[in-house]
Amino acid sequence: MQIGFYFDQSRCTNCYTCLIACKDWHEYELGDEPQDWLRISAVERGKFPDLSISYLFITCLHCLNPACVTACPVGAISKREWDGIVIVDRNTCLGHPTCGACRLACPYDIPRFGTDQDAKMEKCDLCLEHWQAGKKPICVEACPTRALDAGPLDELMNRYKGVREVEGFTYCADVAPALWFGKR
Amino acid sequence: MDTQHTVIIPTGACHDCGGRCVLKVHVRNGVAIRVETDDGEEPQLRACARGRAYRKRVYDPNRLKYPMKRVGKRGEGKFERISWDEALDTVARELLRVRESYGPSAILAKWGSGNPGKFNEGLLHRFLNMLGGCTMDWGGASAEGSVFASRTVYGTLKTGHTRDDLVNSRLIIMWGWNPVDSIWSTNTPLYLMRAKEAGARIVCIDPRFTDSAAVLADQWIPIRPGTDAAMMAAMAYVMLKENLHNQKFLDMYTIGFDKFKDYVMGIGDGLPKTPAWAEPITGVLAPIIEHLAQEYANSKPAALIPGYAPGRTAYGEEYHRAASTLAAMTGNIGIHGGGAAGFERGPVPLLGMAGPSIPTGKNPVEAGSPSVRGSLDPSVRNRTRVHGTRIWDAILKGKAGGYPSDLKLLYIVGSNCLNQTPNTNKGVQALNKLEFIVVHEQFMTPTARFADILLPVSTIWEQIDIARPWLSGAYYIYMNKVIDTMYESKTDFNIFCELAVRLGFDYSDKTEEEWIREIIKISPDMSKDITDYDAFKRDGVYKLRFTEPQISFQEQIEDPENNPFPTPSGKIETYSQRLAELNNPKVPPVPQYIETWENANDPLANTYPLQLVTHHFKTRAHSNFDNIPRLKQLETQTVWINFIDAQDRGIGNGDEVRVFNDRGEVVLPVYVTERIIPGVVAIGQGAWYRPDRAGVDRGGCPNVLTRDEYSPGGGWPTNTSLVEVRKA
Repeated sequence: MQIGFYFDQSRCTNCYTCLIACKDWHEYELGDEPQDWLRISAVERGKFPDLSISYLFITCLHCLNPACVTACPVGAISKREWDGIVIVDRNTCLGHPTCGACRLACPYDIPRFGTDQDAKMEKCDLCLEHWQAGKKPICVEACPTRALDAGPLDELMNRYKGVREVEGFTYCADVAPALWFGKR
Repeated sequence: MDTQHTVIIPTGACHDCGGRCVLKVHVRNGVAIRVETDDGEEPQLRACARGRAYRKRVYDPNRLKYPMKRVGKRGEGKFERISWDEALDTVARELLRVRESYGPSAILAKWGSGNPGKFNEGLLHRFLNMLGGCTMDWGGASAEGSVFASRTVYGTLKTGHTRDDLVNSRLIIMWGWNPVDSIWSTNTPLYLMRAKEAGARIVCIDPRFTDSAAVLADQWIPIRPGTDAAMMAAMAYVMLKENLHNQKFLDMYTIGFDKFKDYVMGIGDGLPKTPAWAEPITGVLAPIIEHLAQEYANSKPAALIPGYAPGRTAYGEEYHRAASTLAAMTGNIGIHGGGAAGFERGPVPLLGMAGPSIPTGKNPVEAGSPSVRGSLDPSVRNRTRVHGTRIWDAILKGKAGGYPSDLKLLYIVGSNCLNQTPNTNKGVQALNKLEFIVVHEQFMTPTARFADILLPVSTIWEQIDIARPWLSGAYYIYMNKVIDTMYESKTDFNIFCELAVRLGFDYSDKTEEEWIREIIKISPDMSKDITDYDAFKRDGVYKLRFTEPQISFQEQIEDPENNPFPTPSGKIETYSQRLAELNNPKVPPVPQYIETWENANDPLANTYPLQLVTHHFKTRAHSNFDNIPRLKQLETQTVWINFIDAQDRGIGNGDEVRVFNDRGEVVLPVYVTERIIPGVVAIGQGAWYRPDRAGVDRGGCPNVLTRDEYSPGGGWPTNTSLVEVRKA
């Protein structure tokens, strides 16, 4: 099985709630101000007054062929066989700037390192313990406009009429990100 | 996570943010460690970024921790720690001294949204009324133009629908309405999304291409600030000329429409309010106005939702009254999917946000004066009160300036009024003139820096309270106490209890919980709905159940004989006799476009050619949260300027610029964008005023530039100011 995200670009208002909810939830484990595990970016097009803006949610996409796993020299990053979630063992990770190979390898610039010397890599773990409690990731449960969902990727692709690419996002076939989009 | 030792406590994050939501706080060993939101029955009341970051507010290292007295100059921010006894003795002594020397009207009360549950909301005025009274301000900063218009036209503020009714609209006109940023009742953006997905066309009229326009609207119509009523008059012209209006509706439910028609057609002034007439005023092309008028008249049902921002201009009341007139002309009142275009308070809960707080009692200073309740005559209010935009002028000039009293003492509770009242530099002068200032606060706000005695207040998570929906939404919220009181802080209630002892009266006849039970008991709606207090407290939320969306004025439309509108005539008052009696051409009996001061045609525009608007941020609730880094880092405080205006001035995106007029100067980074109409600049309101040695604000507070004047109906014209922008 492969768990992934669904993001409906037509419903994202750039409200930052997912981002804040994520930071609030994961700070408890890190005991430190987390880096942004997820980002919202904007694509703005047109000239006054004919404009369009699309917002894009992105976080670790728990790729089917994750480049970070291959790139890590010490095997600190792994992909769980039973649900496809990509996790990092922060005890094994060499940290940045000693290493940082995963960040270079990731086509979506997802791995984050704190500002401390040799800070360990951190990124979205799809809220592992939330799943264990029968819940969805904190960002999904936070979204005020229900633009987000998560679950087995094939189920998401069946449930939502969707696409692989939207404004601001290119599907990288080499790594095969586990993300399904609703289009604007 | 160790779930065994974690308890989850339901509460809220109550500020004047535009929503009221549920927070479920995980608490372990007495510490709030994580926040979840409503995951219960639909409609879930999910919190926004502000609420989700609330833990960072509660645990911010810069919380005020103990009472302090000022040791430097006012505003300098130099304070010294003192005991609660010394602080409260000083406040009590000063209150008595001022009351004995000058009378209670020398005390000005200023309450704000720093900690506002329904219980907290009335505490200051109850306290001062028991002490002998005070001078109050009048006129809500957010929406007084809309309040005035709604009272005039409909005789009530309860004109809105629950937001789930939007899905029934075929056309939604978001006029100066930006609920993606300012929420306008929890779940409003969600219901707009659903309406759009159900096929509603959405048009947004706004000087800025807001995120609401970007993600919701099919069409954005940029407009010059302060000219909305002109565009509406031209839309009325098109409907009348092409006979698209619902004459039957107008005959049956409105009064004096013919007089409005005369104005629109130019009978009397010889000036028909055609789209061609409106085009040079509004900056909106005539065919666009014409098309929107046709679309609004022909799409049924259609909801014109008038945001409050266009009402925060000079003569903004006219915009709100014109909006209601268009809603009547198209027969969209009292029907599902329509909208009366009034104040927008929903029909349920019965009393909305205006439901009872702790009873404040009567203000002895106002005894014998005519009641101001519901009055449309500002002069009645000005007899005992000061308009909110004029408090600085009133402090500086007093009775000699025509104000009701000479003000000597300012009692501030959870209000950052220096920041959030027009003309901040005049505010600095005024605060320096006062004999005594006491401030209850959680943080060293720009206003708190001027306190003589500064009292640390507990956050909403350190006490209990209840909340109601902002405008609409059928629920109530119980805010449980989440953690113990931090540092030496006290609740506002406890501060007043302890002061009362020193002043010789009893403020503590009921406990906080007894008061909350009492507020529920005296609320006509809550007393019926909340039958099990303990369950309400345990669940943290009580949702009312309805089989369909709730709308206003259904009875008035379906059975007008037995259900008159709550106006003097019983009709929708397009023409208002009460306004005619004011005999003020700036508040005419039928809505009209009136050219604002400081507009593009003002001679002052030769010096200051750009119109300033002051919008809301997603990461602040007014000035609340501006000091919380987790939120602050998400939105940069900038001045928005159109590419053309920037090019004229040799300004590039991200440059530091000076924004200035005769009232002051702000230096901040510039956002050069296509997202704003040329000739207009925008600075988000709520950023904290941070003057440098020369008095130039480096914090980005737009009230340094706004004019401290009020619109004749009481609106705060914070979107009517002229400025110039230059590279710093």
